[in-house]
Amino acid sequence: MTVTVAQQEAPAPRIAFRMTWHRSNLVPYVLISPALVCLVTFSVLSIFVAAVVSLTNLDIGGLADHSQVRFIGLHNYQTMFGDPAFWEALGNTAFFVVLGVPTLVIGSLAIAIALNYSRSRVFRALRAFYFVPAITAIVAISLIWGNLYNSQFGLLNWLLSLVGMGPVEWLTDPTIAKFSVALVAIWRGSGLDIIIFLAALQAIPQEYYEAAAVDGAGEWNKIFRITVPLMRFAIFFVTVTTLISWMQFFDEPYVLTQGGPVHATTSMSLYIYQQGFRYNEFGFASAASIVLFAIIALVTLIQIRVRQSDAS
Amino acid sequence: MKGAITKHVTALGMFAVVLWVAGCGGGSNTSSGSADKGPLQIWTMEDSASFTSLMQDFTRQTGIPVQVEAVPWGNVNDKLTTAVASGNGPDLMQVGLSLLPSFESAGALLDLSPYVKDHPGLQSSNYLSAVASNKINPSGKVLSVPWVSDVRILFYRTDILNAAGISAPPTSWTQFHDDAATLAQRGKGKYGYYIPQWDSALPVEFTWEAGGDVMQNGKVTFDTPQFKTAADFYISFYKDKLVPTASDFDQTQGFISGAAPMVISGPYLAASIKSAAPQLDGKWNVAVLPRNQAGTSLFAGSNMGVWAKTKHVAASLRLLDFLAQTTSQLNWYKTANELPTAKAALSDSTLTSDPMVKVYSTQLQDAKLLPLVPKWDKISQALLDSLNSIVLKGSDETTTLATLNSTVSSLQT
Repeated sequence: MTVTVAQQEAPAPRIAFRMTWHRSNLVPYVLISPALVCLVTFSVLSIFVAAVVSLTNLDIGGLADHSQVRFIGLHNYQTMFGDPAFWEALGNTAFFVVLGVPTLVIGSLAIAIALNYSRSRVFRALRAFYFVPAITAIVAISLIWGNLYNSQFGLLNWLLSLVGMGPVEWLTDPTIAKFSVALVAIWRGSGLDIIIFLAALQAIPQEYYEAAAVDGAGEWNKIFRITVPLMRFAIFFVTVTTLISWMQFFDEPYVLTQGGPVHATTSMSLYIYQQGFRYNEFGFASAASIVLFAIIALVTLIQIRVRQSDAS
Repeated sequence: MKGAITKHVTALGMFAVVLWVAGCGGGSNTSSGSADKGPLQIWTMEDSASFTSLMQDFTRQTGIPVQVEAVPWGNVNDKLTTAVASGNGPDLMQVGLSLLPSFESAGALLDLSPYVKDHPGLQSSNYLSAVASNKINPSGKVLSVPWVSDVRILFYRTDILNAAGISAPPTSWTQFHDDAATLAQRGKGKYGYYIPQWDSALPVEFTWEAGGDVMQNGKVTFDTPQFKTAADFYISFYKDKLVPTASDFDQTQGFISGAAPMVISGPYLAASIKSAAPQLDGKWNVAVLPRNQAGTSLFAGSNMGVWAKTKHVAASLRLLDFLAQTTSQLNWYKTANELPTAKAALSDSTLTSDPMVKVYSTQLQDAKLLPLVPKWDKISQALLDSLNSIVLKGSDETTTLATLNSTVSSLQT
């Protein structure tokens, strides 16, 4: 008898325990805490450290001997705003964003829609083909493109010479170099965007297209009245991520031109890198990275606002 | 998405956190005389296989094992910052002369002045005067000792110059420019000379040759008539279309193909020509630089320093002694084609019998170091940016050079 009572009573505390857990709403916090801890230590804390460092004169001497580090207020920001190279880097970044983001979003969308027309073997192979740049190492890309673009013995200039055209200074003319570098980045960035668009395309129910076909809608009508509106969220997502990655544009100019000729392809990120890791001016580089952070945060906030007002 | 936004700041912030925390550690110098058996760790530039074989001789002589790590030139600065911040470095390191100021301001190098008097091989008088102790060290200290030297000379294609009616290499600036003009008339895609757009030493060499200097009262200045002469000379090659404008023009390829039959470079170019184009043997030669008021060239090269926190000072000094010996210096020239800095090695008959080395040696007697100031990196970049924007973007020379002067003085306040 006593045994049965004990058996019946035993589960009771466990239920009570579970209840308190539910009531306190701690579960979600416990579940996200590992991610939160990582985010705080590796992102939020680092931003604060960078913000503090940006107010100091930390350089390589200061790293070796901490007593050399001084708080210099906003001096780094003042120097930076007076540095023509900073404004040039900012202008270059704006140029890359304006050229690259629309080209990439519209181009990827068009290619994705075209690729979605058929599931035949040829189209499946094409999909893999378009994704290859996204998974190729940047060093390999720089070697290949560097050799294509080379003004002395590059393939592109050789092809031009076959049709009787003079050589183009792909990476060495300050204006053309901007376009050459952006082209490589567009080519490399398109793979990922196309995959995202393809996934979104395949989530659109076929019934809409069938209904539209019954009503006599043509191909263009189907694309602009069904496909594009139903992909609004995917387009928004791709635009935001593409915009952020282009504001942080770094890899292609770093490997292809090191920011040259005469700063023509120096983006903000490359400017920060050069200040921090080439001239060892960590305080100054932190100040520049805080500015870039503020710009990106602002642009992203505006986008989210626009999206919200669009949705409501 | 938030992660993506913050990625940037994060990189620098994390870097700072890690370095500051790591920087709190440290070691002390515990050397114990000749009983110090290492093992030693040394960072060299690039060529680790040749250096390892040189070190095998040292290990045979002293019983001290040496571990060689080759650091690519492009990574030297990263390597230095992490080593300084963490306190974990090698025992010795090769330091390119241009990098000396950063290594010194990072406190990475041990002051050897208390030890050199017991090491006759490391006395400053053994080395070329361009790298005399008082020229490469802050006053009263010996933070590094010379290791290899490198000097700029004129490389020219005898076959192409002869075909253009030029019987001897140019010896004056006027001849240099005239010869370049003659050679550039060979046709499209053919030039007289090649100016590397990354080479900040060239305008400084031209300034020395014009009879001036870029250092005045401990500060770098380009506000001198001699620099103006140098800048005009530099620009004239572009103005008269005697040099390629493409920044990706390859010097070695250009010399081998004949597109640029005259270039100013170091002995390493001789090694690359010999290995890349043995068929050109006898069709090219070297000469001392064309003169204006002077014929001064750039003295480049590397020193060897001892890491400030090494635990093997005595063993490190024995290695420095070994490297300063004539046989080591000559062996190194044989395997790696890098010139000695020790006078005794340079006057050895194995070197003086080679006519090209004779040119190098002559030029080494008239060669100077670039300014060894911590801001030189930034100043030289500003110098290149200004000159390149004049020659490539057509910026106005007077205003661009005026801006350069104010930038340079504001960098040194």
